[in-house]
Amino acid sequence: MLKRRSSILACAVLMSATAQTQQSHPDLSGVWSYAIDRAPAALKKEVNGVVTIQKIDQSARHGDATSVAGALPSTPKPSYKPEHLAKVKDLFDHESKVDPVFYCGKPGVPRIGSPRKIVQLPNETIFFYEDISGDPYRVIPTDGRPHRVNANPSHYGDSVGRWEGQVFVVDSRNFLDDTWFGEDGYFHSSEMRVIERLWKVGDNLVWQATVEDPVVLTAPWVMPPRLIRPSTERLEESPKCVETDGSKLLNNDHHLQR
Amino acid sequence: MRQRISVWPVAVLLMSAASSVWAHHSPSAIFDMGSRISVTGTLTKIDWINPHIVLAMDARGDGGKTEHWTFQSNPPSWYRSVGLARADFAKAIGQTITVEGVRARDRTPFGYMQKIVLPDGTSLELINSADPK
Repeated sequence: MLKRRSSILACAVLMSATAQTQQSHPDLSGVWSYAIDRAPAALKKEVNGVVTIQKIDQSARHGDATSVAGALPSTPKPSYKPEHLAKVKDLFDHESKVDPVFYCGKPGVPRIGSPRKIVQLPNETIFFYEDISGDPYRVIPTDGRPHRVNANPSHYGDSVGRWEGQVFVVDSRNFLDDTWFGEDGYFHSSEMRVIERLWKVGDNLVWQATVEDPVVLTAPWVMPPRLIRPSTERLEESPKCVETDGSKLLNNDHHLQR
Repeated sequence: MRQRISVWPVAVLLMSAASSVWAHHSPSAIFDMGSRISVTGTLTKIDWINPHIVLAMDARGDGGKTEHWTFQSNPPSWYRSVGLARADFAKAIGQTITVEGVRARDRTPFGYMQKIVLPDGTSLELINSADPK
């Protein structure tokens, strides 16, 4: 009887410790604002002579390398091996015609940006996104399991998560190589690995990604962190994507030019 | 149903953006950003699709012949973020509207909508954001 009581007590202590460990992590769950570029326009509405102007919250669309607590030192651009520089330049020069996302392609990781919604559970965390290519989700195990061995390569890769102190670290690999990890022609190989770090600063979420690709890069590229505000805007199914403009392009202008 | 097209220089207003959710081609690769047109006609259709919403309208051209115009504009999620839904436009189907925007470089009846005046006089216009970033 005494032995059984000891076992029950030990089990209770273990469960309590596990619960405390889980509770010691910040809860990243919630809906978060967009943290990528949005159309740079405001809406001017006039009804019966009354004018209102509604702006878009663009606060998180650019990385901030200097003012976010806990951020890794970042660089503005990735460092490609010399033999790949010409390809990057060519893709950059013809970006408006060849960027896969301009044709409703999946952006992949990390280009999809930070999740719009996070559901943090004891053994897994789920990221939800809204995107013109569809509304992907990522189920990220956090129970210590390794990457899947036989998973098919995909645009969002195979991810596992872990906690490093107050930082949630997501390690993703096994990517298809037909996405860009940045808008300026940043192509990658199927050997790309992406490390995302997420943590809280006050009520805000910070997302910072590092891209590793030993095939095309000389060093990991640490992207500038993005500070993301909580949002009350509910996620909504994205309408279908129908691209019809590609054949109408009459020059190689980039977006945001002129 | 009457078409009125006027052209005047405008400050550049770019409505296409860079990353994934909003990504699309450069507007200046398709549209003549240096001039602006105004078309008045009957709204016939509104497609609430990515990467741009699309309005179709019939307008009377020179000589009285009906021209079928198509205007695209910002993505559905952008309009959602400023509190507008498809229904706000669809209620004008079959009625007269005026659309201002920039015309396709190939001179087809295709443009990018920057402003719409609905039958009840409500005006909705995309303007440059004051956001300095």
